Amino acid sequence: MATALSTTSKTIGTELPSGSLHLDNLVKQYPGGASAEPAVAGINLDILPGEFLTLLGPSGCGKTTTLRMIAGFETPSAGKLTLDGEDMLELTPDKRPMAMVFQSYALFPHMSVFDNVAYGLRLQKFPKKRVEEEVNFALTSMSLTKLADRAPNQLSGGQQQRVALARAMVMKPKVLLFDEPLSNLDAKLRVQMRTEIRALQHKLGITSVYVTHDQDEAMSLSDRIVVMRQGRIEQVATPEVVYRQPASVFVADFIGRANFIDTSIGELIPGAEGTRASVHALGASYAVPAHDALQANSHVCLMVRPESVLLSAAPEAVEVSGNQGRVLKSVFYGAWVEYEIETMAGNVTAVSYDPAPGDILQAGTFVQVSFEQDRAWLLPAED
Amino acid sequence: MDTVTKAVIAAIVLILALLIGYPLIRILTQAFGADGMETLRNVFTSSANRTVLLNTVVLGILVGAVGTAIGFAFAYAQARLDFRGKKLLHLIALLPIVSPPFAVATAVITLFGRSGLVTNKMLGLDYNIYGLTGLTLVLSLSFFPVAYMNLLGMLRSLDPAMDEAASSLGANRWKIFRSVTIPMLIPGFASCFLLLFVEAIADLANPLVIGGDFTVLSSRAYIAITGEYDVASGAAYSLILLLPGLLVFLVQRYWAERRSVVSVTGKPSGHVTLLRSPLARIPLLTVVLSIAVLILAIYVTVFVGAFTAILGVNNTFTLANYKYVFSGIGSDAMFTTTILALIATPVAGVLGMVLAWLVVRKVRRGRGALDFLGMLGLAVPGTVLGIGYALAFNKPFIIGNIQLLPALAGGGAIFGGALAIVMVYVIRSMPSGQRSGIAALQQIDPAIDEASTSLGASGLRTFRSITLPLIRPALLSGLTYAFARAMTTLSPIIFITTPQTKIMTSQILSEVDSGRFGNAFAYCTILIAIVLGVIGLMNLLIRDRSAPTRLN
Repeated sequence: MATALSTTSKTIGTELPSGSLHLDNLVKQYPGGASAEPAVAGINLDILPGEFLTLLGPSGCGKTTTLRMIAGFETPSAGKLTLDGEDMLELTPDKRPMAMVFQSYALFPHMSVFDNVAYGLRLQKFPKKRVEEEVNFALTSMSLTKLADRAPNQLSGGQQQRVALARAMVMKPKVLLFDEPLSNLDAKLRVQMRTEIRALQHKLGITSVYVTHDQDEAMSLSDRIVVMRQGRIEQVATPEVVYRQPASVFVADFIGRANFIDTSIGELIPGAEGTRASVHALGASYAVPAHDALQANSHVCLMVRPESVLLSAAPEAVEVSGNQGRVLKSVFYGAWVEYEIETMAGNVTAVSYDPAPGDILQAGTFVQVSFEQDRAWLLPAED
Repeated sequence: MDTVTKAVIAAIVLILALLIGYPLIRILTQAFGADGMETLRNVFTSSANRTVLLNTVVLGILVGAVGTAIGFAFAYAQARLDFRGKKLLHLIALLPIVSPPFAVATAVITLFGRSGLVTNKMLGLDYNIYGLTGLTLVLSLSFFPVAYMNLLGMLRSLDPAMDEAASSLGANRWKIFRSVTIPMLIPGFASCFLLLFVEAIADLANPLVIGGDFTVLSSRAYIAITGEYDVASGAAYSLILLLPGLLVFLVQRYWAERRSVVSVTGKPSGHVTLLRSPLARIPLLTVVLSIAVLILAIYVTVFVGAFTAILGVNNTFTLANYKYVFSGIGSDAMFTTTILALIATPVAGVLGMVLAWLVVRKVRRGRGALDFLGMLGLAVPGTVLGIGYALAFNKPFIIGNIQLLPALAGGGAIFGGALAIVMVYVIRSMPSGQRSGIAALQQIDPAIDEASTSLGASGLRTFRSITLPLIRPALLSGLTYAFARAMTTLSPIIFITTPQTKIMTSQILSEVDSGRFGNAFAYCTILIAIVLGVIGLMNLLIRDRSAPTRLN
């Protein structure tokens, strides 16, 4: 049993900068035949103190399993997990200095809001006065003071999730774990809550691991995003890098929308601002930013985001050829117009923001199609 | 899995092995011994025994069908018909649950027997209720509440949007009933039929009282043991009873429950429009109300009969019946039964809850087996259980030269055999606690447990401060059923009751056997009063200490 001084007990109010989480080749293989694919197939991650890291991926990619292994609710089949150098796998979940926020809020229905938030502190045998102070501070910072005596079932979904957040944060854990905490809320509330979570996390500086399948959430919250697929990491990078320079077709497709055009690299051209690769696409030649994974004369996949596609009128054109395409669909969304254009390289999606009245292209119109080459990105071809 | 959980599992398995495993093994060894095998062979070769087997199956099918039909009529009227007095009808339908098994049989004999009040005195008929007709009537009336509750639950959880969808596609009410409601309930019908089938073939009290010449397996086993002193044959008969019982139980539980198509959305999208058309109301209400009147008549008979010398023969008011019950043997039985049931109830309730907790939350591999082991007390017919107990615990339990247990049942046993009776009560009542516990736990999001753990609570602490308060209502209803069940249990008790330990139900049987219906009615009335009283008390006690906020 841990004593009050031991680092293995749930201590709160740690002053030292801490919360450096290290995942070393973490594997989860569920029983059911060795042939079955592991749910998590060897995850390596270094999460920095105070960092907000998001695990992002489609359902079944192993992101929740990874989070639950960090929390201790799943036992890894192999691998290591340390927090500030201390082995976490030896500790049961109640002894790990972490707190989790659940998708279903998981509030204790038989306790008031106050008692819910006080639960963890009371388990630590804090003096009554201290518990009251800490809980009241947490409730105030989540604007819940007026609801302290309510029962959870008398609260709205957003209020419930605030209580769940307060309950986790009041513990001042070294690591906060979030399991899709906003997915049960409606769209507007979701946007508001994620701003609040981000602000609070910044203020407290607690290392946070956040699981979601919502790319907007991941982009707006994270210092870094981990994109996962079938139990493996596809890419770890800042939101901007993940969007602009995805590591694979999967990442490019999962985050934002993208047009993919099969092509080949002609040559690699060194330059003062980095190497560029020459490619031929949509009836023209482009010099696209290159990176280390590319080789001259190799088959590649050219990624162009819809907002980088440039359209100009082609009044003379009568057929789809070269850089000429035809508008198949034109949908007005208010702030932008979205087009689907038939080209020699297949159908291309283009977006035009804030179009001037009268500039909207109608279906059937012929256009010249090109793209901003600095914004395009080359990916290894997928089989 | 932590050591505490492992220890709890080990303890539970050991308890279940003693309470139900060992008696069943003794039945098997007896039935497959030389004498038992002889009987087993005879069952299929001798025509008398074949008749007994056929009788049992016919009775099971009839009660299954009639009981399910009555249950459905009551449930449909309750859920979909527009009429006044629904609450009252609901209570009437539940009456048979809290009454001892003979109350209905004895009252039916008084009303419709050879010199029955209705058949003979009022209508002047020479009618014989004894036999298959009487048994079917009595058993259907006794067991239909189970079907009623199940089907009512299903009807209420049917999404009204489906009726509305059918209606907007052009179906009229009758068409909706035939093509939407009934097909959706088919798994429910199957499940109720099987449940009633098992209850009917397992019942011993009613075949003894109203069976007449119509012998079924349970009464045959009873005669073999108490009349012919042939334990091996008794074991063999009960084995034949055990197999269909277990089989049907398994089918009912793991097939019918899984195939349930009832859509529980938790968010009803509309309201059911209650039926007002006289075409539907008149026939259905006629059926339901006549049955309700019959049930009421039966209980009025019990109540009035208790104050009458010989109801139908000598209708003078008397307190002699109560005097008999409250003095001597009667009061003995009353106190002993109540105390033993009160001892068994919390044990059964807690065991059931812990088992439910293990099954839902703790055990992954082998959870089905653990669940089944716990439910055995319900699946094994009472007659079989009683014979098993008599076989297992009448003598000290000795392995090698070491005596592990003294004799627990029978005349020479410790505590005058009371311990064995408590054990029977526990194993018989535990499944109701287990069932309500499992249902309650499955409603609680596992994340709530995890949230508690994540905030630093140990497993035991989480169970104490989170899980237990949340399943308190289920615990209460589990305890209530456990107590009612224990108080009204007869078939296993008959085989292990002793002169030192008198049990009300077996006292009632001997009163009925010797024709003293008045005493039997007095016993029944008191038994019902005790059950209702204790249930009310338990409600008060547990409600008061319950949490300040209600659960959704």
